[in-house]
Parts: sequence; structure tokens; C-alpha cells
Amino acid sequence: MTHRSHRGLTALAIAAALTTILAGCVATGGSGAVAPPKKDAPGAAILQSRFSDELKGGMPELIAAFNAKGKGKVTLNTIPTETYRQQLPTFLTAKNPPDTYTWFAGEATRAFANQNLLLNISDVWDKNMTKFPSALKALSKNDKGQEVFVPTNYYWWGMYYRKSEFAKLGVTPPKTWDEFITLSKTIKSKGVTPISIGLSDNPWLASAWFDYLDVRINGGKFHLDLLAGKHQFDDPKVKLVFEKLKEVLPYFSKSALGVSYNQSMSDLAQGKAAMYLCGAFISGAVPKDVKGDLGFFQFPIIDPSVPVVEEAPADGFIASAGTTRPNLTKRFLAFAASTEGQEILMKAQGDAALAANPDVHITLGPLAQQGKEMLESAAQVTQFFNRDAGDALQPTADAALTQFFSQPQNVDAILATWQKAAAKARAGS
Amino acid sequence: MTSVPLTTRRRRVTFPPPVVFALVLVPFLIEAIGVFWPAVQGISLSFLHWNGFGPATTVGFDNYTSLATDDVFIGALKNTAIWIVLFGGISFIAGLGVAVLFQAERRGVGIYRTALFLPIVFSLVVTSLIWSAFFQPNGVLDAILDGVGLSSWKHVWLGDPSTALYAVIVAALWREIGYVMVLFIAGLKAIDPSVTEAAKMDGASAWQRFWLVTFPQLRNVNLVIVSVLVIDSLRSFDIVYAMTAGGPFHSTELLSTYMFSEAFQTRALGYASAIAVVIFVLAIAVIISYLVRAISDEKES
Repeated sequence: MTHRSHRGLTALAIAAALTTILAGCVATGGSGAVAPPKKDAPGAAILQSRFSDELKGGMPELIAAFNAKGKGKVTLNTIPTETYRQQLPTFLTAKNPPDTYTWFAGEATRAFANQNLLLNISDVWDKNMTKFPSALKALSKNDKGQEVFVPTNYYWWGMYYRKSEFAKLGVTPPKTWDEFITLSKTIKSKGVTPISIGLSDNPWLASAWFDYLDVRINGGKFHLDLLAGKHQFDDPKVKLVFEKLKEVLPYFSKSALGVSYNQSMSDLAQGKAAMYLCGAFISGAVPKDVKGDLGFFQFPIIDPSVPVVEEAPADGFIASAGTTRPNLTKRFLAFAASTEGQEILMKAQGDAALAANPDVHITLGPLAQQGKEMLESAAQVTQFFNRDAGDALQPTADAALTQFFSQPQNVDAILATWQKAAAKARAGS
Repeated sequence: MTSVPLTTRRRRVTFPPPVVFALVLVPFLIEAIGVFWPAVQGISLSFLHWNGFGPATTVGFDNYTSLATDDVFIGALKNTAIWIVLFGGISFIAGLGVAVLFQAERRGVGIYRTALFLPIVFSLVVTSLIWSAFFQPNGVLDAILDGVGLSSWKHVWLGDPSTALYAVIVAALWREIGYVMVLFIAGLKAIDPSVTEAAKMDGASAWQRFWLVTFPQLRNVNLVIVSVLVIDSLRSFDIVYAMTAGGPFHSTELLSTYMFSEAFQTRALGYASAIAVVIFVLAIAVIISYLVRAISDEKES
């Protein structure tokens, strides 16, 4: 009898396993467009934020100001950036999703919007955001032309250096690629590493070099088409980018692949390295006493006939299509887009970002002023590799660029591998 | 007539009481919901192309066939093999060595045992931070090399694909050897010392006493340790992820780290599930073949 019951259990287990296999088991369908309810569910709306305290996103201040108005309550839920990026699709596809999220503009948002996961907030744009620049508006749309993103701020990328160190070395910021190479040579001859980068834990930083070289050599249109999959990464034009990168490889630290982001920043802060191609967030990454000494110059011009493109990643909010509090969510987004909301955000973010709302008038620090002028003079702006190409392609760029740093002679094989990996990443998603 | 009550009585005795069913079924249900169900889901995911939020497409065995031509996957497979051989092999031999060395109760031996066991109490992330500082450019190791006049040996240990994997293995070994040592000491303590003494009386050398008397008696412990080491090797993830995240350019990628980056960075959930299935099959195959051999050995003896 014991034997029989044992056998019975086994049979039961096998039957259960087979049923689950046959059932297909995982809910993998894309969600259809569901109209949000007209009336809000009671309770507070949730804002999911990727800005931990040291990143100074300004979310607590923004929420406190909104809640003080008595038009509804928003609560903040902060998740570390890496985890946040991994889990955002899970949040958005949940049965009862959080209402609002901090996120990036561009392809990163469109990928979700085109699966009907994001709340259509065209009415917020029509009512509250008519003065926003058209470039930001275009970035905020899904493929159907509906707005799904509220930009709060954008920032710039530049070649950062310490003014006092440049003075000590007796050099001045270059304008063209040739001047940049000469400058790097001079700095190296004085025993200082010309260019700092920390690729061991932040390999994506190398993509800034790829983006900038590509837009300077091949122009903004080719760059965005390449990232959208209309050109291949083994295109001869991409090889030109890598050949230019090879010209500056001797001026990076030899151990760039083994240096961490923090180490690379302290190399710049301590004057062991002279320059760093970085986003405006660099001011938060260096010690306070160095911050005032930072300066930056525009990425050098390579071909004067190519219209100038700059990287200007926009940050902001998206809302879930499945929110049960659409009206409260939209009120909050309208507040985040208002001059009052954006002034709060800008104040919290320091001198490292520019407000998306053109009516925001706060005194900009010298770096922000310079960044603003640089972006305004550009013929076109791009976001950043992962924001333009989609997050899924970032690891493929990381592998290709770090390998090139270590084995520049293998450029053809590297580009072929990159194209293969990118095609696979596009097919997988 | 007398046989009828007898059989019913016997039945009553052999039929397990309800509490036994409860004890079997409740854990089984928990296991089914927490382990079997997700595992089956993982297998069914491996036949899809899915990014986690869009519509999924069924692709049959496509994910598995593309694994066969994926250089990164083949590299990860090789690295996992190197990991099992070096990490598993050295942990086993070194763990056994220090256990034999430190099993006898001598004065001060506790200090050595504690020192070797200490790394286990650190979390793996702390371990990887310590070793990253050790290997980083101009870090502890480079400073030591400078100090002994071997500056030319200085190297970007974690940034060079030819050394990065071995550097991570050293860090992982630092932690594992103490653990294996403790398991072996437990096994050695269980051995009757009179057997070894008898061998000594018979004139067996120290090596013969170890190899012919002690080691064979450790068979059951060996079985446990080899299983633990194979499983630990196949699920090694945290230390690699924290030290190199599989880089530079996939050169330290193990199956587990590649699965993670495919699932959560590239968001190819179907492809990552196919890798997970491969890991599962490998682990099961290695362990079952070892168990079968060990059990048949036991039957023979």
C-alpha cells in the first residue's frame, strides 16, 4: 500500500507538471490599450524614482511642494538606479502598477509607449506645456504622435578639465581635433595622463566617445539611423569612427579597463589625469572644493562641413497606462512641468541640469550657462547611445568599445561581432 | 475467518496515518509553487522571443540553435569549465591539505583554522571589494610587486582578458578553501584514530596512512564536497558580477552572468531562459553521474 501511494504521488506530480507545460504557463501577451478610468481611485499616487539621495534628483522636494497644495497626495518610492532599470518593465506590466515614474526621453520611452503601457498625456501638453520647445515635444511622443513623456530637465556633455591644472600645464582648451591631439601630446609629455575614463565598472562611458566621434564625422542623421538599425555597425563609415578613436587611444590611461568610475574621477580631481568626456552630472562626482575649478569645452570639431550635433539627454516622467488615478497623476505631471515645479527641481539638482520649461528663470551657474549656449548653438541634439538605440543595445556597444580599447588591431572582427550582437538584441526584444 | 481481521489489521498498520500525508504533501506543494512551477515557466519561456513587456513570439528551438553559434555563450561555457576545474579542483585539494594539516589538536591550531574560515563570514560583495582593491591598478598587488623589485610584472589584472578570469578565481578560492576545510575536518574527526594507529604499527608511511587508510574512509565526505563544489561552481555569480560583471568584453563571463545580462540588460528573456535550461541540465547531469558512480562503488564494496 505504501508503494501504491508513493506511485500515486509520482503520477500526480507528473500530471501536474504536464498540465503546466501544456498550459503555456507564462502571461506573455502584450497588453492592449485599456482606457483609464474617468474617476480616480482613492488614496495617494505613487512616484517610482531612480534617484537615490546622493544623485539629488529633487523628487522629495517636488513631492512636498505638490502635496502642500492640497490637490491630492503623491508618495515617493525610491529604487537604486540599476535595479530600477531592470525592473521598470515589471512595474509597468503589473496588474496594479505604480502611477508615475522617472525616466529618459527617446527610444527608451517609445519602446514602452508602443506597447500601450504608457498613459497618453496629450491633454497635459495641450493645456499646460504649450511653450515647451518643439524638439522636446517631438522626443516625448509615441509612434502615433501622442505625448507620453513630460520632460523636466536636460543636460549637456563636454570635455571637462580643471582650470587650475590646465593653467599649471600651460595649455588652453582646443577647438579642433588636430588641436586636441596636439594638446594631448603636450599633456602626456609633462607626465600627466591626458584623458581619464573608468571602464571597469562603467563601460557605458566609452559610448560617449563613440557617439561624439560618429556625429562629428558622419553627422547626426547617419548616427541616429545607425542607432535605429537602418545602417549596420560593420559599415565602413563606422570603421572611420574607430580609426579616429584609435588616434586618441595612446592618451588614455593604459589601465583604463581596470579603473573604476570613482578612481577615474579622483584621478581628474587630483590632477593625475587632465580631461574627462562626461555629462553635467560630473559636478556631483568630484569633491566640493574641486567643483568650482571645473571647466569644460565642446567636443572638438573634426570636419567643419558637418553640422554640429551635441548630446543633450532629457530626463522626465512617464505614467502607467494602468493607473487607477489618471487625474491625480496628470495634475502631478502638470505641476512637474510648471515653472514652480521645475524651479524646485533645478534648485535641488544644482548646476548640473537645465530646465525643460523655457519660462523657468533661475540664475544659471557659469557651467550651466556655457552648456545652455552650447546646446542652443547646435544644429541638432542627440540623447545618448542607450536612449537613442534602446537600452538593450548598450551591452553590445560596451563589449565592442572596451574590446577596441584593448585590441584596436582587431577592429574588423570587433565591428562584425557588434553587428551580430546588435541584430540579436533587436530580435530578442 | 481469522485471516480477515489479520489482513485488515496489517493494512491498518501499513497504511500511513494522515499526518504523514500532510508532512509529505505540504512541503511538496510549497516546493511545487516555489520551485517546480517557476522552473517549468523558465523552460516554457526558453521557446519564446520576449522582452518582458511586448508581445511574445513563439520561436521553437530557435534560442537553442542560436546558442550553438553564439561566441559569447561558447566563451562562457569554456569559462565555466575552467571555473569548475580550477575553482573546484583547487578548493578540493587545498581544503583537504589544510584540513589534514590542522585536524590534530595542537597549540595555536585554532588560530590558523579561524583565519582560514574567516573569509566565509564576509559577504561575497565585501570579498569582491577587498579583492578589487587588491588587484586594481596601483593597488595592493602592484605595490607588493614594486616592493620586491618586480615592477615589470605589474599588470591591469582585472582589466586584461588574459588574467581577469584567474584573478576572480583567486578571490573565489580565498573564500571556498576555508569552507571545504571545515567539511573535511568534520570528516576526519569521524575517523577512528585506532585504525590509523594500527597502520602505523604495521609500518605504513605517513603517505600510505593518508592515501590507503584515511582517504578511503572519507568517501562519503568526498561525495558531499564534490557535489557542493560542482553546484557552487555552476551557480557562481555574485563574485564575478561584483568584480568584473563578466567584462572586459565578456572575457570573464560565466553561464550565470551571461544569463543575467541577457535577461536583465539585453532583455532577451527567452534567450536567457535557454541559458538557464543549459545550466540546469549541466548541473543535474554532473551530479547524477557522480551519485550513480558513488552509489555503485558503495554497493561493490
